[in-house]
Amino acid sequence: MRTSTRVWLLVLVLFVLHFFLHVGLGFESGAPDMLTVALLLSAREIGMGRAAGVGLCFGLIEDALSVLAFGANTVAMTVIGVLGAGTRDLFVGDSLIFLVSYFVLGKWLGDLVRWVMVGEDLRQPFVDQVMVQGLVGGLYAAAVGIALMAITGLWRETPA
Amino acid sequence: MPAYVPEPESAGGRHQGMLAIIVLILALATSYLPEIAQQRIAFGLHRTVLRPFIATQERLVTARFRASQVEGLQEQVDSFTAVTSTHGMLLDENRTLRELLDLGARVGPSFLPATVIRPGTPGSESMFLVELGSTDGIKVGAPVLSLYGLVGVIREVREGISVGMDWTHPDFRVSAMLADGTTYGMVEVRRGSFREDDRLILNGTAYHESAPAGTVVLTSGLGVIPRGIPIGKIDGVEEEQGGWRKSYWLRPMVEPGSVTHILVATHDSGSDVTDRWVADSLLTRDEAITGRVP
Repeated sequence: MRTSTRVWLLVLVLFVLHFFLHVGLGFESGAPDMLTVALLLSAREIGMGRAAGVGLCFGLIEDALSVLAFGANTVAMTVIGVLGAGTRDLFVGDSLIFLVSYFVLGKWLGDLVRWVMVGEDLRQPFVDQVMVQGLVGGLYAAAVGIALMAITGLWRETPA
Repeated sequence: MPAYVPEPESAGGRHQGMLAIIVLILALATSYLPEIAQQRIAFGLHRTVLRPFIATQERLVTARFRASQVEGLQEQVDSFTAVTSTHGMLLDENRTLRELLDLGARVGPSFLPATVIRPGTPGSESMFLVELGSTDGIKVGAPVLSLYGLVGVIREVREGISVGMDWTHPDFRVSAMLADGTTYGMVEVRRGSFREDDRLILNGTAYHESAPAGTVVLTSGLGVIPRGIPIGKIDGVEEEQGGWRKSYWLRPMVEPGSVTHILVATHDSGSDVTDRWVADSLLTRDEAITGRVP
């Protein structure tokens, strides 16, 4: 199976799994942010414009579930898509350090943009939401992302 | 991940950059859309992409709710079981009280209702307490009745309480006659090998007069006890003595162990109550419950 096909299949699975765990089973923060992992994975496969489009779609779907801050996830995911695709031109290879940093920073940046976009009335304290929850969520997403890449063979394909 | 391949500076790259900027502007614009437009988008996504996930959550919530209901239902079932387990006893008590009301209406206000209290202590077998006393007009020897007939008599009377004995007591004796008034005798207890074997006998009847099985035996009215209260039914000859005396086994009208509510005669209850027991009530308790008359 071609790598791009495998990546898109994985993205689809992560998309379904994310909403199944978060919405279907109601696990909330107990389940990792697989949508961000899927976006970060796909952003390395496609161009910046398409990654932004995927981020826009993912964000809109997440925003459909948030009542008071519509648009915050859309902007955050679009930014992640754009920057994720941009790393193709800035960073070479996929060593473990790079991948961990990529997923942690990607998730953390998403939380930061979301925190900014939500607005003063709804946002939680910066330290709590961005510094603590954002970084923990980032590590959680990195662990899941790297494990999935290892399982599906996407990581071993091109050793650093 | 795919190997790094440097992209040549091309129109495609610029195109991707332009597209990303447009999408970013679109994403920012979603925050400033009118609320109704945001709701339409959200509603559309709920009805399409998110529908299976929301449906899953609905099913899960329903399942959790049902699971919690199962516990509640189990508690209700347990409660119902507890209620129905005592239901039979309540029905029996209800029937007894109705019967007593029926009899009370028949015999009039001179018979007072009471509840039988069994002390349950050693030596108090065949004895019971009644919360009626001398102030209520109760006298020693007053008959104690149930719907089916004589239960026993009052033995001691105090101010607010009396002690009675049922027919299984060795001292129980009552003057009796056959329902047609032809034969008289004395009803007493014949002790058996064990208490459940105690039986009533009609003793001292004339030898030449016979009492067919099933004949009802009533109180004769000698002494304090009024005439005409059913005691039992003839159940065969117990003994013939010297060609001059016979005694008969009696099938008692009342099993004292099953009696919970009674009527006690007061001093102005009259001397003859024969007409108060209509023909259809001249059944023993067992006959009335089983519907079988031997």
